[in-house]
Amino acid sequence: MDDNMIELRNVTKRYGPIVANANVNLSVRRGELMTLLGPSGCGKTTALRCITGQVTPDEGRVFIDGVDVTDVPTHKRELGMVFQNFALFPHMTVYENVEFPLMIRRVPQGQRREMVMDALRLIRMESYAQHYPRQLSGGQQQRVGLARALVYHPKVLLLDEPLSNLDAKLREEMRFEIRDLISRLGITALYVTHDQAEALALSDRVAVMNAGRIEQVGTPDEIYESPRSRFVADFIGLSNFIRGKVLAIERGMAIVAVNHIKLMVPAAEGTQVGQDILVFIRPNDVRLFPVDFAKAENTFEGVVHKLTYLGDTIDYRVIVAEGVQIRVQTDGKVRFNAGEAVKVCLPEARCRVILE
Amino acid sequence: MSHFTNKRQNLITFLLLSPGLAGFFGLFFYPMLVTLFRSLRPEGQTSGWTLGNYAAFLSDPDFRGIIWLTFFLAITSTFLSILLSVPLALLLRRKPVGHRLFRLTILVPITVPGLIGALGLLLFWGSRGWFNLLLLQVFRLKAPLTINYTLTGLVIFYVWHYFSYTAITTLSTLEGLDPAFEEAARVAGATPWQVLRYIVIPLIMPGILSGSVLTFMAAFGAFSIPLITGGNYRPLSVAIYKQIGIFIPARWSAASAMAMIMAALQVVFLIFYMRILRRPMA
Amino acid sequence: MTALAKRYWHALINQKKLFIYTFLWSFFLWITSPFLIILLKSVGRNWFGKRWLPPELTLDWYKWALTIANIPQVLSNTLIIAAIAVTISTLLALPTGWALGRRKVPAKEVLTSIILLPRMIPPIAYALGIAQIFYRLHLVDTHLGVALAHVAICAPYAILVLSSTFEGLDERVLEAAAVCGASQLRTFFHVTLPLVLPGILSSIIFTFTTSYNEFTLTLMTYGPHTITLPVRTYLAVGEGYWEVTSALSIILIIPSLFVLFMVQRQVQPEKLVGGFKGV
Repeated sequence: MDDNMIELRNVTKRYGPIVANANVNLSVRRGELMTLLGPSGCGKTTALRCITGQVTPDEGRVFIDGVDVTDVPTHKRELGMVFQNFALFPHMTVYENVEFPLMIRRVPQGQRREMVMDALRLIRMESYAQHYPRQLSGGQQQRVGLARALVYHPKVLLLDEPLSNLDAKLREEMRFEIRDLISRLGITALYVTHDQAEALALSDRVAVMNAGRIEQVGTPDEIYESPRSRFVADFIGLSNFIRGKVLAIERGMAIVAVNHIKLMVPAAEGTQVGQDILVFIRPNDVRLFPVDFAKAENTFEGVVHKLTYLGDTIDYRVIVAEGVQIRVQTDGKVRFNAGEAVKVCLPEARCRVILE
Repeated sequence: MSHFTNKRQNLITFLLLSPGLAGFFGLFFYPMLVTLFRSLRPEGQTSGWTLGNYAAFLSDPDFRGIIWLTFFLAITSTFLSILLSVPLALLLRRKPVGHRLFRLTILVPITVPGLIGALGLLLFWGSRGWFNLLLLQVFRLKAPLTINYTLTGLVIFYVWHYFSYTAITTLSTLEGLDPAFEEAARVAGATPWQVLRYIVIPLIMPGILSGSVLTFMAAFGAFSIPLITGGNYRPLSVAIYKQIGIFIPARWSAASAMAMIMAALQVVFLIFYMRILRRPMA
Repeated sequence: MTALAKRYWHALINQKKLFIYTFLWSFFLWITSPFLIILLKSVGRNWFGKRWLPPELTLDWYKWALTIANIPQVLSNTLIIAAIAVTISTLLALPTGWALGRRKVPAKEVLTSIILLPRMIPPIAYALGIAQIFYRLHLVDTHLGVALAHVAICAPYAILVLSSTFEGLDERVLEAAAVCGASQLRTFFHVTLPLVLPGILSSIIFTFTTSYNEFTLTLMTYGPHTITLPVRTYLAVGEGYWEVTSALSIILIIPSLFVLFMVQRQVQPEKLVGGFKGV
């Protein structure tokens, strides 16, 4: 038996001609914090609503803790959820808001009080018990939202863009608070967001979604270092894509021809000789050297076309062979000027093959 | 200088306000004063002062019956309007097939002349109307039910005419409600009924109440409907009109005294109602 | 036993859709069938006893309505009175609504409540006073008189709608127009007017409907020359010729249907009832 707390198996959901979820497979392991990352309209909300039961998939099944809940109504799924706009009940005090799930479950009065106060203590809001939501700041409201979701010890915690209504500084603080809280409680959590920095900072694993499909699932590290598609690479950070043709594969290294130059790149699974591929490398992995620098792996001559000073880094556009422009970000220790000839190094280990 | 412009601005404001105020004083305040003075004159005279008109009514058990009837009709029909409007709004909010038609239907009673509506209702609910035909031929009842000119009938007609205010306000409040609240409650384990009871109803209560105030005011002051469909049931407006419409010579002072009592009752009840309305979420 | 009950309960739940539509269509029929009956009554002959539909059709009642009940006259009375009432109410409400919506007015809330008072007091109370005053001024049984009586109840509506329209005007848009170099006159015609026109239109629709349907105040001020539609219907009901009354009603209902259509298209119905929340 696998130890998945949440599992979407071949879930498809259509709205008329629009396919919101196309054969989505997703599993969140027990005790893990997984992020569902994607641009707005990519289907992540639909996937979340399939888990909560607000949406019934056209095809496929939904499992929670190994039980098929596809036909179980929302209120019987034992979930905790935090909302983007907090969704605190405005006619109830903080205490009553947190008490609500317990009241619904008919938890005895004495125990109820204890559980509510425990939950409020967890988020350091005990002194606000008698306040109404509108008397609280956004960050406080979201903390109460967390308490309400956690108070009855649900099997899993769902977070739907919980930080996007907060200002930047608060967002960062809350990010760590949520991470800390979830690790401390050891609860399984699925975190939906469109903010890649949030996803990378928070999660054990990230699932990147695009156009109704899951593009890639992996640790933040894997997603960032070895994106499997152009979309994932682009969405997660700055990228160079260099179009080329595979000439040969030797000992796991593909030799890729790009115009006049040849690149050595670790071959991805399924790479074939003669195939058109993309070579991917992050701008801050590219090295720049003075033009008289001794030859090394994947090093070519180029000309600095344009540079932008960004404070702690400098952003260069270097033209290598005709038409191939590479973006490079370096720390400001060695400077090159626009028009200057340079050597560009794409370290083999940092390059990836992306099949299209 | 600024003092001067201030004065000028105030003058302009006053001049702008004056047409509305003139209308108010000329067509409402002054007539109310006339009614008040008339109610303090002995019947048929233009001078002299008396409280006799008030004393006569307040000690008259028939008159007390009229007041009870008026309140009974207004409160019952307001209550039933709420009972009708809430499920109606809950259903229409989901935009079922034909919801535009049903929305338009809600507006019918307040745009079509009340008297025509009343006429149609008398025909529909009459002993030979469709309602009784349905009872006799489909449900095999022995004798027709009398609806017209009964208290039940009057309540049905009142709700028909005045529920719109409650329904429109309830629907618009409900549509302004963030669906995330319901979703949050559902995920927290509440059944649809519990969501309705603990979340939706409390949140739209202010809307329901403010709509029902309008229904209440309309029902309390109702005149044309009970005038032609009330039969022997005469709420205050009709009773007042009968004082000048039936008696020869017309009993203006008596009518005025009743009208003043009616206005006072309505204001008192409204203030009371507003208190309730402002209490939630204080 | 409970298992059976449970099964029935589930069967019922599954019929939810049926329930919903039964409820909605019963509601629809409850509201509209009176009009359907009037329509049938107006074209039916010998429709007595236990029949769902009239046995014979005729247009005689319409001829009667047009000749005996003098419908053209009644309709023109009603429309003239409504036109005067709408005009006066709008003229009163434009400056007052502007002051309440856009200027600093001391004790604004109290003032608004006072202006709305006529809608909170039963009309019969001041109708009595108006009748006596107009009698002295010889305004009874004139179009102007009846229309003025209607203004008592129409103007508060107009003021309410217009002041909220003016209040909703975005100062920045007007400023932007001025910054762009538009003269005051141009700003008014090209920016302000298009912005407030829907509000003025809805105010006109509301006041027109109110005047067209007003009964209490008309009853206290009308005479043989100023019989309006609601009064005519009332008199016809009293006369007891149900068929003729029905024909008459059908003719007179047409403008209302037009208004209903306008309300649906032009204005949000909740505005029709709004504004009382703060009273």
